Amino acid sequence: MILEILRMSLDSLTANKLRSFLSMLGIIIGVGAVIAIVSVGSGAQSQVTSQISQLGSNIINIGPGISRGRSGRISFSATDVFTMELAEQLMRNCPSLKNIIPSVQASGLLIASNTNYQTSIIGVTPSYQEIYEYYPAVGQFVTTDHEENASNVIVLGAGLAEELFPGENPLGAKVKLFIRNRNLLFTVIGVMEEKGTGAMGNLENQAFIPASVILKKINNRKYVNGYTAQALSSETAKTAVGEIEYFLTRYLTDTNKFRITSQEQILETINQVTGTLSLMLGGIAGISLLVGGIGIMNIMLVSVTERTREIGIRKALGAKRKHILSQFLIESLAMSGFGGLIGIGLGWVGAVGVAKIGGWPLVVTHTSVVVAFSFSLLVGLFFGIYPARKAARLDPVIALSYE
Amino acid sequence: MLIKINNLKKTYKMGEVNVEALGGVSFQIEEQEFVAIIGPSGSGKSTLMHILGCLDQPTAGNYFLDNEDVSRVSDDKLAEIRNKKIGFVFQQFNLLPKATILQNVSVPLIYAGVRGRRKQQHLAEKALQMVGLGDRMNHRPNEVSGGQRQRVAIARALINNPSLILADEPTGNLDSKTGKEIMKIFHQLNKEGHTIIMVTHNQEIANQAQRVIQIRDGLIQRDEVIA
Repeated sequence: MILEILRMSLDSLTANKLRSFLSMLGIIIGVGAVIAIVSVGSGAQSQVTSQISQLGSNIINIGPGISRGRSGRISFSATDVFTMELAEQLMRNCPSLKNIIPSVQASGLLIASNTNYQTSIIGVTPSYQEIYEYYPAVGQFVTTDHEENASNVIVLGAGLAEELFPGENPLGAKVKLFIRNRNLLFTVIGVMEEKGTGAMGNLENQAFIPASVILKKINNRKYVNGYTAQALSSETAKTAVGEIEYFLTRYLTDTNKFRITSQEQILETINQVTGTLSLMLGGIAGISLLVGGIGIMNIMLVSVTERTREIGIRKALGAKRKHILSQFLIESLAMSGFGGLIGIGLGWVGAVGVAKIGGWPLVVTHTSVVVAFSFSLLVGLFFGIYPARKAARLDPVIALSYE
Repeated sequence: MLIKINNLKKTYKMGEVNVEALGGVSFQIEEQEFVAIIGPSGSGKSTLMHILGCLDQPTAGNYFLDNEDVSRVSDDKLAEIRNKKIGFVFQQFNLLPKATILQNVSVPLIYAGVRGRRKQQHLAEKALQMVGLGDRMNHRPNEVSGGQRQRVAIARALINNPSLILADEPTGNLDSKTGKEIMKIFHQLNKEGHTIIMVTHNQEIANQAQRVIQIRDGLIQRDEVIA
């Protein structure tokens, strides 16, 4: 019997194709918007996440706590905290740490035989490669020997190598670094692989020299700006933060002197922000689903009035309330369900388009499809019940004499 | 005894005023009778027909159909009785315009829970052949003549093999020649053993029945057997 009632409902929908389509439109747009927005949100989120993890994994940054000072200068008490020795001590005292490197850099003019280039010079130790998963393509990176002896060696970013030595092999070549009115002569020992532009800016045009060279030969200070540490795994990242915090609090006796930011925290914040944004936009799309539901109810009420005589005939021929109820309920469910399906297709197409334009991966989750579709069915059910009940409760005598 | 009604009353509320459509009607109808209920408009004959057809319920009194009191049962129970025991033929034909003739005839089968499209089709074809409408089954009602539409309605009334066929002015919308043909079908059905109640205000039509019940102002004025 259900099959026949289903067929009756579908017959009546196809008999009024334009009207059925127009009343489905609200649901189509609503579901399409939900699918597209959630997909755009997740796509953008996964892109940001991947950009951040591109900077290395399980990274913890340790920097000065407050940067307050007199007349525009950063207070020494705030920055004169972090030494190379402290880094070693941290490494010894925090078992969840895998690597730690100092953050120290300078900016100077690199001069090759024909060209020069103003760029940042990063002070590194060998662990730098591992933390950022960034390795030389040719030659070698700064070694422990270079670091201990403060050797004048330099590793060039891929872009920088191309700038300074276009079409040449830079290995073994000499470059001058002009910094603070002094010239230092470096030997190129390696060129880094290409990594592209990440969230931290262009890595390609940077140069890398032993950290000790910056400290001893350029800055003439024993302090670095902070450290970049790496936890053993993502599971131990939180533990590592705790260990560092515990050690530094005891060692420096002042929690204001340092600040720890973990990559996880940043990711969490970003995920929260994009999550809230998606939820908000999804909510707006949900409202259009609701409006679509009201459209369906409206058309179903019109349909019930229009077909009062048909209802009367069916009742006279023996249709019970449940038969009439299910006939009209199936009609509204079919409209919202079919509208939902079209909406899913449309939303998918929209998501593909936006993902292409935004350049991020297409993420259409099963959850969003299932939730949007069930929500559209729910809307059809909710807004279909009133008209269907109205139809089912019609008095057959009155319905039969309806003109 | 197929029908026994006992002091049947029906009052409607029209705003503040109670209007008495039936003021206490009693009669019995045996199986295989052909009864005409006659009366002018406003006499209460339509109300009586609605109650006899289980489309409506009396305010007071009893109605036994097949020895079952159906005067105080639920809406769904009434629907079931209409489906199984009563076949309606209306003046306006009351066919579903968008369904084919075959589908129209099959509607009562659906609500009776007869399963299988082939079986439904077979039964519908049989009913259509009984009223002389074996062809044109896949046409829609507006593609056939008025007489043919009424034949479709009769076939639909017959399909669940009801105890009672209730016809409301079945020839009212037809020319006299077609009306005669339709009346012939009713006579034929009666001969085959169907009980028929026909509501009309046409004396000539009523005289073709075996018994005429005349209603006036909600009461039986005359109840006599013809020939």
